[in-house]
Amino acid sequence: MTDAPNFGPGTDAVPNRPKTSLIAEDARTKGRNAAEKRFRFYGMAAIAVGLFFLVVLAVSIVRSGIPAFTQTVVNVEFTMTEADIETAEGMLFKTKMYAQFLNTALTDQMNAKGLEVDVDEKAIQRILGKTGGIIREFYKGNPDQMGEPVAFELSASSRVDGYFKGRVTREGFVDSRFLKLSDLDLVDSLAQAGVIQQAFNWNFITGADTGVDNPGGAGIGASLVGSFFMMLVVLVLSLPIGVAASIYLEEFAPKNRFTDIIEVNISNLAAVPSIVFGILGLAVFIQFVHLPQSAPLVGGLVLTLMTLPTIIISTRASLKAVPPSIRDAALGVGASKMQAVFHHVLPLAAPGILTGTIIGLAQALGETAPLLLIGMVGFVARGYPQGFIEGFTDPNSAMPAQIYTWAARADVGFYEKAWGGIIVLLLFLLTMNIIAIILRRRFERRW
Amino acid sequence: MYDAPHMTESHVTAAADVKIAARNVQVYYGDNHAIKDVNVDIQDKTVTAFIGPSGCGKSTFLRCLNRMNDTIDVARIEGDIRIDGQDIYDKAVDPVQLRAKVGMVFQKPNPFPKSIYDNVAYGPRIHGLARNKAELDEIVERSLRRGAIWDEVKDRLNAPGTGLSGGQQQRLCIARAVATEPEILLMDEPCSALDPIATGQIEELIDELRRNYALVIVTHSMQQAARVSQKTAYFHLGNLVEYGDTTKIFTNPEDTRTENYITGRIG
Repeated sequence: MTDAPNFGPGTDAVPNRPKTSLIAEDARTKGRNAAEKRFRFYGMAAIAVGLFFLVVLAVSIVRSGIPAFTQTVVNVEFTMTEADIETAEGMLFKTKMYAQFLNTALTDQMNAKGLEVDVDEKAIQRILGKTGGIIREFYKGNPDQMGEPVAFELSASSRVDGYFKGRVTREGFVDSRFLKLSDLDLVDSLAQAGVIQQAFNWNFITGADTGVDNPGGAGIGASLVGSFFMMLVVLVLSLPIGVAASIYLEEFAPKNRFTDIIEVNISNLAAVPSIVFGILGLAVFIQFVHLPQSAPLVGGLVLTLMTLPTIIISTRASLKAVPPSIRDAALGVGASKMQAVFHHVLPLAAPGILTGTIIGLAQALGETAPLLLIGMVGFVARGYPQGFIEGFTDPNSAMPAQIYTWAARADVGFYEKAWGGIIVLLLFLLTMNIIAIILRRRFERRW
Repeated sequence: MYDAPHMTESHVTAAADVKIAARNVQVYYGDNHAIKDVNVDIQDKTVTAFIGPSGCGKSTFLRCLNRMNDTIDVARIEGDIRIDGQDIYDKAVDPVQLRAKVGMVFQKPNPFPKSIYDNVAYGPRIHGLARNKAELDEIVERSLRRGAIWDEVKDRLNAPGTGLSGGQQQRLCIARAVATEPEILLMDEPCSALDPIATGQIEELIDELRRNYALVIVTHSMQQAARVSQKTAYFHLGNLVEYGDTTKIFTNPEDTRTENYITGRIG
């Protein structure tokens, strides 16, 4: 520009504009850039901290939980003839006689490997528990196996199991009626002979909970089935009800004070502590409707009440996100309002609805508090696995409640069960999420 | 027949070829009086252009003609709109049936996120216009031809309609609108989102469509109104100021407001 300021039309340039270089940063730019850098650093730091704790969590879960998937077993192979069984059945303490046969077989097995051990009947009982009953049950169930060599896999007691997993050590060992220090010598030589081994603990995945003194036999299977039934109830009830309610409120209901109140209440319900829903379930479903206690059906109903607000809120949000031009287009060619919603709006909102549903289901899956109130906790299955299929009204537990029960028990053997249960719970959740992602992909691919 | 004290000569034509007759139409959005006392006769097989500054109510009035304003809770419509002598706001009239008869094309191209075929076939399907697949194919082809887009899309009918260019999308929307065999086509600024070439194609198409339909087009471009329409209505602040032959409106307007608008002094 020229030196003389010119304020004529078309030249509203600022007079004496300072000369600035494009190469050198001025103070303001510097400050702005520094602020941006700082913000990026905060963001990265936050993510790093989050990742760190996630890794710590994952590592500790896996490290503490993996032992639950293995168990210490004693492999004994021996033959009982019909005559042996008749002898045993003729005794006053039948199972004791069976146990003696086992002990003899065990001693023979050790001697055959050139290991001289003193197999004390009491010590074996401390290591393996009452084995006679198991053997007797087996032959009662499989009489055709008499006279044949049978390989028995008997699980060791939780102390012995703990000895192999490092939970029980020789240092500071105190003899008790459960295990004596001398038993550990026997265990060592049994391990040396390959009689005691680590095996995959199928029982943990398929089995049911046991009493407080038998952590070795405890399994999460029954509560897994319980959780599965509950999720089924929640999905079947909350998805259609939630989506239908959202569609009505969002697309059809008049906007007035009454619907405003409903909207506010739904938002508030989403924030109600879950134990309140538990109380409600206890009062309504069990005390008033007289549904059976501890049943996955009741648990599912309670969790449905809890999940509905989440599903309704997310469904309404995804319905709102569908551009109004799509509704106009459908109405413009003469579609009824319902056709416009079901043919065009709902398919577009489906991925969002699925996301909301899976969040709601994940919440419900991990919920413990309401289950405490309807008695789905601390339950030991009787006769499992027979009859668990009609599980909607049969007493059962759920995974988080089962984990809670184990974590609360005194025996340290349950500690690893609790962590192992968390692994199974997370895998269940992961499976659910993967199914949802696959479904969502399929919906999205349609256009 | 009508009690229409505000009716003026220029707004009403001979009844013979009148397709839409509006009398004393008032529209309220809540407390806002958006359309004030509009009387107009829209002729069959004619392109009628609604022009006027933004917010003058021309789109609102257009949306009254197929009851799209019904979807807006706060909108309230008074007066009398008749298509072929039938009151479209009569209680017995189902807006869904009305909209099959009065098609609409919107400002922003809004194809369904489905295939090109399904976009066009949707209307005939829900109205049961085709008895079988062959008939439906025929309707789709005929509609796409009328939309002047058949040659461009005939090889990719299963491609998504949203993948077309803006102009193609708008012609697809026109094809979709004519697929239900309407008698009237309403177009709400159909070219405002398009480039001049696409606009030219749409305008040619509008001229073609005039042979079979009564067309009402809202436009911000006075050149477009002059090019495509035979009748023009000028709206100002919710009033229908002037209505008449396009040539007359653009060369010899009666109202000073119309003159100011078309000469570019307001709007």
